[in-house]
Amino acid sequence: MATAEIEVPREALPTLEQANDDISRPIYAPSWRYYLLLAICGVGILAGGTAWAIQVKNGIGMAGINNPVSWGVYIVTFVFWVGIAHSGTLISAVLYLTRSGWRTTINRAAEAMTIFAVMTAGLFPLIHLGRVWYFYYLVPYPSTRLLWPNFRSPLVWDMFAIGTYFTISLVFWYLGLIPDLAVLRDKFTGVKKKVYGTLALGWQGSVKDWSHYRRLYLYLAGIATPLVLSVHSVVSWDFAMGIVPGWHSTIFAPYFVAGAIFSGVAMVITIMIPLRWAFGLEKYITKYHFDNMAKLLLFTSLIVGYAYALEFFLAWWSNDPIEKESFAWRAYGFYAGPFWIMVFCNVVVPMSLWFKRTRNSLAALFAVTIFVNIGMWYERFVIIVTSLAHEYEPGGWGIYVPSTTEILILIGSFAWFFFWFLLFSRTLPVISIAEVKEHLAHEHEHGH
Amino acid sequence: MNGGGGKLPTVTNDVGTSGDTSRRDFLKVLGVVGAGAAATSCGPPDMGDKLIPYLVPPEDIIPGTNVAYATLLKNGGPEHLGLYANVRDGRVIKLEGNPRFPNRGRLSALAQSALQDLYDPDRIPGPRGRDSSGFVESGWDEAIAAVAGFVVPGRTVLLTGSVTGSAAEFYAQWADATGAEWIPWEPLGLEALSTAHEIAFGIPGIPSYEIDRADRIVSFGADFLGSWLAPVELAGRFADARNIEGGHHAKFTHIGPRLSLTGLNADEWLSVRPGTEGLVALAVASEVARRRGGGAAARLGGTLSRFTPAAVAELAGVEPVRIERLAEELASANNPIVLPPDISGQGAGSTEAHLAVALLNLVCGAIGTTVRPGVGPTRGASASAATLRNLVERMESGAVETVIVAGANPVYGLPKALGFAEAFAGVANRVSLSSHLDETAAASNWLLPANHELESWGDAEIRPDIWAVAQPVMRPIFDTRQVEDVLLSIAAATGRTSFEAEDWKAWLEAGWRSNYEEEVPGDAPLFEDFWFELLQAGAVRRKREQPDPAPTLAPAAVNYRFTLPEQVSGLTLTTFATAQLYDGRGANRSWMQELPDAVSKAVWNSWVEIHPATAEPLGLETGDLVEVRTSVGSVTAPAFLYKGIRPDTIAIPLGQGHTQFGRNAQGRGVNALDLLDGTVDGRSGALAFAGAPVEITAVGRRGTLAIMQGSDSDLDREIGELMRVDDALEAIGGHRVDLRQILEHAWDSDPNSPYRWGMSIDLNACTGCGACVTACYAENNIPTVGEELAAQGREMSWMQIMRYFEHTEDDGFQTVHVPVLCQHCGDAPCEPVCPVYAAYHSPEGLNAQVYNRCVGTRYCANNCPYKVRRFNWFTYEHPYPLNLQLNPDVTVRETGVMEKCTFCVQRINRAKLDAKAEGRQVQDGDFQTACMQGCPTQAIVFGNLKDPESAVSQISKGARAYHMLGELNTRPAITYLAGVSHARLARSGHDEHGEDNGAAGEHDSAAEAGH
Repeated sequence: MATAEIEVPREALPTLEQANDDISRPIYAPSWRYYLLLAICGVGILAGGTAWAIQVKNGIGMAGINNPVSWGVYIVTFVFWVGIAHSGTLISAVLYLTRSGWRTTINRAAEAMTIFAVMTAGLFPLIHLGRVWYFYYLVPYPSTRLLWPNFRSPLVWDMFAIGTYFTISLVFWYLGLIPDLAVLRDKFTGVKKKVYGTLALGWQGSVKDWSHYRRLYLYLAGIATPLVLSVHSVVSWDFAMGIVPGWHSTIFAPYFVAGAIFSGVAMVITIMIPLRWAFGLEKYITKYHFDNMAKLLLFTSLIVGYAYALEFFLAWWSNDPIEKESFAWRAYGFYAGPFWIMVFCNVVVPMSLWFKRTRNSLAALFAVTIFVNIGMWYERFVIIVTSLAHEYEPGGWGIYVPSTTEILILIGSFAWFFFWFLLFSRTLPVISIAEVKEHLAHEHEHGH
Repeated sequence: MNGGGGKLPTVTNDVGTSGDTSRRDFLKVLGVVGAGAAATSCGPPDMGDKLIPYLVPPEDIIPGTNVAYATLLKNGGPEHLGLYANVRDGRVIKLEGNPRFPNRGRLSALAQSALQDLYDPDRIPGPRGRDSSGFVESGWDEAIAAVAGFVVPGRTVLLTGSVTGSAAEFYAQWADATGAEWIPWEPLGLEALSTAHEIAFGIPGIPSYEIDRADRIVSFGADFLGSWLAPVELAGRFADARNIEGGHHAKFTHIGPRLSLTGLNADEWLSVRPGTEGLVALAVASEVARRRGGGAAARLGGTLSRFTPAAVAELAGVEPVRIERLAEELASANNPIVLPPDISGQGAGSTEAHLAVALLNLVCGAIGTTVRPGVGPTRGASASAATLRNLVERMESGAVETVIVAGANPVYGLPKALGFAEAFAGVANRVSLSSHLDETAAASNWLLPANHELESWGDAEIRPDIWAVAQPVMRPIFDTRQVEDVLLSIAAATGRTSFEAEDWKAWLEAGWRSNYEEEVPGDAPLFEDFWFELLQAGAVRRKREQPDPAPTLAPAAVNYRFTLPEQVSGLTLTTFATAQLYDGRGANRSWMQELPDAVSKAVWNSWVEIHPATAEPLGLETGDLVEVRTSVGSVTAPAFLYKGIRPDTIAIPLGQGHTQFGRNAQGRGVNALDLLDGTVDGRSGALAFAGAPVEITAVGRRGTLAIMQGSDSDLDREIGELMRVDDALEAIGGHRVDLRQILEHAWDSDPNSPYRWGMSIDLNACTGCGACVTACYAENNIPTVGEELAAQGREMSWMQIMRYFEHTEDDGFQTVHVPVLCQHCGDAPCEPVCPVYAAYHSPEGLNAQVYNRCVGTRYCANNCPYKVRRFNWFTYEHPYPLNLQLNPDVTVRETGVMEKCTFCVQRINRAKLDAKAEGRQVQDGDFQTACMQGCPTQAIVFGNLKDPESAVSQISKGARAYHMLGELNTRPAITYLAGVSHARLARSGHDEHGEDNGAAGEHDSAAEAGH
């Protein structure tokens, strides 16, 4: 976007060679702090993994779920991570297609985040299964019993939606990495050269290479774009297709998509701020980028806030006593705490982003995104748990409280996610070198 | 058809109303080849891994088929129950009622759980003697020799439960022969009732309460549908009196300090202070006498006249106008019946209370019609608490050297204040013949464990005109012996006496033989034939020479001087028995611990019932621990806030607080008897269970109280519906439900299938007793989960009885009990969401659940609006020998699998196979689901909705029919029939939101249109 480009701070423009070095520097020399973080994540994974192993051995009852709340932290966290995964595609594909130049320095990390978030999310449907050892019943494989999955079940749609999303995201990400892998191949010697060389698929940077690359990148961006809408729509149908009051609503798909973008952008900011600081990438990821992302955050917060209000409005407008009771209980019942945390974090706190001062203060922005991350986890908790706890049959109402096992696995999921992200940050360029250079070259040419 | 056939003229067939035994039942019974075979050829199978067929197969074992043995349950609760024990491969797996008995082929929840008593892993495995280290194994001979040495004439007491029939004779003779003293004792005895009738009419014993003949029912607190006298029989009679389709519905008034299970079924509640029931009865009697007149009224005028409503109103805490109104209704009723208090209203003057009720029955004309003195359920002699107190004194003084306890648990069942436990511990020789290590057994120094009654021979007088036999239905599981045989051996080992009979069975048979030969003319069939058929039938009607004793007012009653209780202020305690634990005997059975109480819906614990207004100043909420103190002790238990109790009354259930008795009972809850000071009624010696002044304090902590129901109100969501009685009477014969709704468009089911299984549940008949729930546990191998998991909402019951309170216009409330189970919807929300087709729709309209296919996403449970799906959060254990009870026709589920009601698909399939073999289709009466079979009021009817003639089709169209959460249009296979109440219910528009989708004229052809 022309207007955006004008605002790029010019005084600090590095040379192309500097860009190569700056961005790939972290790959050379991991410090003890990196290993410490990695170790912390390792411990987290171990804790979550052990909790899961015990759960598989003893039974899913290790989780706090019960009658009537049969879905709890696992599904909440699943939806949370799928939501996080959203920003990657949005930033890389949608902003690419709309030629939003400011995506350049954040798309790599955002895409990586997508991949790892889907990898994290994908664990949860398995963790949540009563008999995980039969997970393959969900897969349409040629069974001798001639049984296929039930294609009417939203859970099967879900599996396909997420599978598709993961595949496309991975390919898209990898494609974007190829020129950068070639840069790394050229910088390294020995084993690393071999590995990066192999992964670079013989990239020569020729015009022909670039022409194929650009075309494929465009096509993949085109394929990936509808997935931004589809994945979380399908995830939302896991709920909206149910008859549970509080789930069964036509607004769910757009509501979830907006929520997903909201949480995804928040997580990108949450990660980029420390990353930028740790890797000294201030020259590449600037306040300009954060400002843009903050605006996106504010915009999606408004949509999410609107959806919250609309849910209550529809419950009132329907004049269905069951629906009305369900929503009144959501706001004032046992789970009023999570509900108001959700409202505060997702609707009230982001309103501070109307102010440029907040958007330009990385500390403030970081704090806001932490609130949003927490708020969005609670949003899924509120939707899933409060709806199930107060369904049609009042005699069957019940309360769910998460168990230690669930908390450990939740923590483990964060550890798992950051573990992969840490590995990524030290093995692959966290910013697309090729795109930055392209951008810089453009700037050098026209700006100076 | 009569199972006894022509050869057995005396076998009763008209004891209940539903005497006819189907051909299938007859065939089943034919499987009995006498009890000898039962006792010897089959036993619990060796649980080894042999799959070798029998070389010589036992005659009565057909692989894969149940054999039903008729027998008798004497300890299955307050009443003697006739039953068929369904035996598979030598082990009994299910108990079902025998229609020849007053229990009409039905069993209570507690009686059905006798299986868990039989297969209790905590039973004493064999004889034990005590040494310094505790109990050590012993041989039978050694144990019997030792005990025989203790039987010192004149210094030995044989303490048993209350028994009738041959056992009563046997114990008396045994005591005579050995010089011991026999004391039969029942903790929740009916001494006061019997004494009062003796005073009133000179006829001791229990009257027959023929509620079915009544048009106006008043109870002074008796929990006759749950824990008093004969709940299964009386529930059946109660349902008859309120059979709205028959055009009548007797109004029922409950008088007492709290609403029990029975009270919740009342149309009206007259809340009176505990212990003043008798006073109120006198006031009502005085008013009825004034209105109705008559000879009895005239004779009693002097006695009754001082008990005007105004005089008793303040003492009883009730408005005089309500007493007058009740009297007016009783005086104008044609066939009124008044039932007495039970232990929850049994204060220090319990005989007087019973006498007052008897006189009330007399002045309102019930005596001789609906209440027939002396011909009710037979109860054996039972020593009163006063006698036991005397025994304690003798034990303390050393006058008693040996106590042999069989079938009684006085260490637990008597108030601590009576000091039985301490005195018993001081007795030199303490012998227990209990099959369980209960509190008394644990305090003994010799254990000679008895067979369970399902492993035993016996008989009983059910009623003066009905006698029944008990036969062992399987070989003893442990190294135990028939209790009478042990006593015979002991007697023989003393060397001082000998009995003619070589063993108890011979003794029993000889007794029957002599009676038979005495009573039956010479040309009758041989005794052997009679006995053989009796064992198949279970019971025989005994000819009675004398007519019913004519009840006339005895002089003792005419000028009886009733004492006025003192005016009390502050809180009063009452204790009560529950249907599931009764006197505590159900406490080690996990089915009973996990059966939600009909009132509190709590499981696995004791609770303290407190009125919300009383709890409020203390800041108490349900689940908060509260300390309850009387002059003799205190207990701490979670509070249960209950609007069905008076604000000046505190109530605690009996049955928990065991210190011994096994894994499920021990250390659970509190024993409310600890609060009683041991006061007894002066006339009958009966223990005062109610009336003690009590103080409560909030402990300030929360306890665990697992309550299995979320909300007490159905929020008017078309779940538990009630109708006013006049509306219901007017609507008889009308149609509300169009069956085509269920039959047509049913998603995926096969239009060519001759079957669409359906059920109707009549909420007018359902009393909330829980018999169906336990039947379901037994039939379908449903595991129990324990208190911790139950509190987390992980109960496995496929059927749950919801207890919903509905407001009335006069600011009271009415209760509707709603059994909620899988509705087997035509358009089932659970089915399409299952990703692996584990939940699928069978061609016969069942919502099947394929356990092997289930991966446990639990989406189906989320999407079930009725919340009836149950998930196996863990793999639950069935510790040996409880696993022997498992029904081999039903899969035992593992962790991670969803399950729910199957409509007893195993029974459906068996019936289909049997029908196919006969070249026909399944018809009504071929089989029943377990819940239907167990229901004492026949509230549940199951059958084929595609057969327009089937009972379920007829009922499902009825005027009171509705579908639960009908607006969701799930097309459920279960039709509920609205409950009926005389209370002034708010007319919430039940009539408006009917499901009449079709035009009025199409209703009659609705069922036919199903094809």
